[in-house]
Amino acid sequence: MSDFEKKWSGVLTQSQTLKAYKNYVDGWEEKIGSFLEFDPNRSLSDEVPEGPLSGIPFGVKDNIAVKNYKLTCGSKMLEHLVSPYTATAVKNLQKAGALVVGKTNLDEFGMGSSTDNSALQKTNNPWDTERVAGGSSGGSAAAVAAGLVPFALGSDTGGSVRQPASFCGVYGLKPTYGVVSRYGLTAYASSLEVIGVLARTTEMCKVVFENMKGKDPMDHTSLDHTPSGKEVKTVGVLKLEEGALSPEVKNSFDTSVERLKKAGYEVIEIELPTLEYVVPAYYTIATAEASANLARYNGIRYGHAPVFAENPTELMRKSRHEGFGDEVKLRVLLGTYVLRSGFQDQYYVKAQKIRTAIRQDVERWYDKCDVLMMPVFPTPAFHHGSSDLDTFQQKQADLYTCTANLVGHPALSVPSTLENGLPVGVQFMAPPFEEDRLFQVSSALEKEFQAPEAPGYHTDWS
Amino acid sequence: MYQSFIGLEIHIHLAAETKAFCGCKANFGDEENTNVCPVCMGFPGVLPTLNEKAIQMSYVVARALNCKLSPNTKFERKNYFYPDMPKNYQISQFAEPVGRDGYIDIEIGDSIKRVRIHDVHFEEDAGKMIHAGDMSLLDYNRAGYPLLEIVTEPDLVIGEDAEAFLKSFQRLVRYLGVCDGNMEEGSMRCDANVSINPVGVGLGEKVEIKNLNSSRFVRKALNYEIERQSGLMDNGTKIIQETRLWNENRDQTEGMRKKEDANDYRYFPEPDLPPFRPSDEFMKEVEEGICELPLVRKQRLMTSYGLGSDQAEYIHDEKFMADFFEKAVFLGADAVQVYSWLSSDVKKLLNRNSQSLEDSNLSAERLARLISMIEDGQISGKIAKRVLDHIFDEDKDPDVICDEQGLVQISDPAAIAKFVDEVMAANEAVVEAVRGGDQRQMGFLVGQIMKVSGGKAAPAVVQSVLKEKVLG
Repeated sequence: MSDFEKKWSGVLTQSQTLKAYKNYVDGWEEKIGSFLEFDPNRSLSDEVPEGPLSGIPFGVKDNIAVKNYKLTCGSKMLEHLVSPYTATAVKNLQKAGALVVGKTNLDEFGMGSSTDNSALQKTNNPWDTERVAGGSSGGSAAAVAAGLVPFALGSDTGGSVRQPASFCGVYGLKPTYGVVSRYGLTAYASSLEVIGVLARTTEMCKVVFENMKGKDPMDHTSLDHTPSGKEVKTVGVLKLEEGALSPEVKNSFDTSVERLKKAGYEVIEIELPTLEYVVPAYYTIATAEASANLARYNGIRYGHAPVFAENPTELMRKSRHEGFGDEVKLRVLLGTYVLRSGFQDQYYVKAQKIRTAIRQDVERWYDKCDVLMMPVFPTPAFHHGSSDLDTFQQKQADLYTCTANLVGHPALSVPSTLENGLPVGVQFMAPPFEEDRLFQVSSALEKEFQAPEAPGYHTDWS
Repeated sequence: MYQSFIGLEIHIHLAAETKAFCGCKANFGDEENTNVCPVCMGFPGVLPTLNEKAIQMSYVVARALNCKLSPNTKFERKNYFYPDMPKNYQISQFAEPVGRDGYIDIEIGDSIKRVRIHDVHFEEDAGKMIHAGDMSLLDYNRAGYPLLEIVTEPDLVIGEDAEAFLKSFQRLVRYLGVCDGNMEEGSMRCDANVSINPVGVGLGEKVEIKNLNSSRFVRKALNYEIERQSGLMDNGTKIIQETRLWNENRDQTEGMRKKEDANDYRYFPEPDLPPFRPSDEFMKEVEEGICELPLVRKQRLMTSYGLGSDQAEYIHDEKFMADFFEKAVFLGADAVQVYSWLSSDVKKLLNRNSQSLEDSNLSAERLARLISMIEDGQISGKIAKRVLDHIFDEDKDPDVICDEQGLVQISDPAAIAKFVDEVMAANEAVVEAVRGGDQRQMGFLVGQIMKVSGGKAAPAVVQSVLKEKVLG
């Protein structure tokens, strides 16, 4: 156990420390609002198993089920829902000794890049409260960046772990599709998403990943993790068009490339011509799946129900009208549209074909390089509202992160630099099951640049 | 003259212990909303897990229907909103069902007809919505129940064909042990479609009929619908593609929704379930799940045991009865005797006890023994019926019952002579009348002797002893 982990493993059990820790969290929460529910005492009554994560607290994105905690998904629809069961990934971490301390804020049902689409709470970036923490796992990223927890779980459907990790200056892992059980992860786009980790160190990312992965009988799409153990030598760096990135992100990206060279990696330039089709393909598939996945919320068995309805049809209609936010409605409508009979070939089927083409485009590079490097997001954390990027531009900016989701490969966002007081990350991608390659590169870079400490961050609660 | 084309869509509840995609019990009649869990209630984050037993039953049915079996069967989401459907999509199959392009031979009247099967696909059932006054109540016990849909080609012609098909199909699934085939309880359901056209023109505009809760309603609704459409066509009115409901109180079909109002199900591949690829072991078990099918068995019962068509029809109706029959014959009983007992006295007792043969105390061994006791002259046919009664009530072998009740036939002339003497002494006047030539009174005396012997005296011996004593 590293010093960092040791420090955290006692925080909940020593009453003096616990009190100071809670005060610290309260202080930050007034500024950033990362947790929707925070209660470190709830886990303490449970017996804590001895394990690699014994006593270490963590936050869970509020679209992942933890028994006796709420499962709001950042939506008015599920504002009062308490989960009757626990997600497999969370259970695995609890078996390793980790303790859930709360549920973190997110864009409603994971739909967004800012956490501003949460219907329940506003989350701010710990580096600048005028700015967003990113999304959709913005609460988890902000909580880790502020030192409220050493790690938190997020979910990554199109970049929802990596982009907020980049915005907040922490590590963000999107594992290989299927390697972490999705059982208990509220479905948005089932074929794209996976539970991921946000943490302050590469090591923590790795330990958490190792302990939560594994084939799960409750998830038929889950897989055994079978890494090759290959050592990374060559990094394929994406060739970027002029103006593709903001100057800050461009600078940060180039800095990391230089550090890689300095660390002895061979760097080659790669091109992904299919990149321009990533966003349309992603939004076609994601919204199609979302339109079915969100159909279950109808106010009958649980969730928001209208005060009065004339009949069951009106009950469902009103429940959804009142319970869902605009972004959710937009995506459900889009998804319903692309799946209409007679239009499937034009949209859904075509998007799946593009998905295959993108996979081939990416995979051909693995003959020449061990990992791929690309930006996470074209800009640093943007301001709340649409003054920097409107919601359409935010979607367009997902192109670098969506790629890994469409092809199902693992990807890691690594803190790269601070640019004008804001953290910026870079992204690495590897073939399926090769998370270890990502950790190798990340550890090498971590020697040069560690997760930066936001003003006010500390872990000294004694 | 019009030609009519009828196709059926049959749903059967697979007799699996648990639901299609979770571990909840698949039980009828339990208290409302007790066989439910986060998965079948569609809570956020849950995922389906495939019930392999139920999928295997699906392959057995598809195999029995001579379908091409899929080596890689796929699942799709069928999207529509209904309060009793927890996810508001149904996991079903579309592109690659369990089986397709099959057929089944059925008997209609005296002829055999081949009906083509379009496909056999696996899906999950919805719950139940009950309207009570100004409230709607929901029971999700049935939600997620494993369901198999069998779609026929429009190869049937009139309502009677459809009724016969359903009867045959019901027998088939019972033989295979995959469904109890009970239409009243809804474990087997049927929707029908019918179109008509002038002879030679081919299929017409398809009208679907729903709410058919018995095979009788299927027949009546289809014949009503053929009549209705013929009337429209006679008048030159265009028949529209629509879905109609059978109103059993009025004996008519009534419009429910037009084609334009039909749901767009927006099928797309179920991302939570990978395709199912049956292993060799799985397929071996499927083959083992296939038994001799009812029609083949009926024909064999006729050729091997000399049963008539009606007799074989009766015996083969239930697999258990047919097995019972063959076993009794194997043990040495005469085939027609076994049939006679099963179709009369045994049937009566089963009805009286409202029991099935399977649940009764009668075994093939016991029936075969009973029949051999008659043939050996140990007991009379009349006593045998009493013994059968005792078998049903006391669960004992016929020999034991005969011993305990002293029901063995008395055929010793000396023993019978005693009964004869006793009766003659008590009926001197009658004896005199017979001696005087009134032969009709002989029957009375025989009856009295049988009564005195407690029915045990062998009638033939009684006859001869009596004759000798009275007439000398």
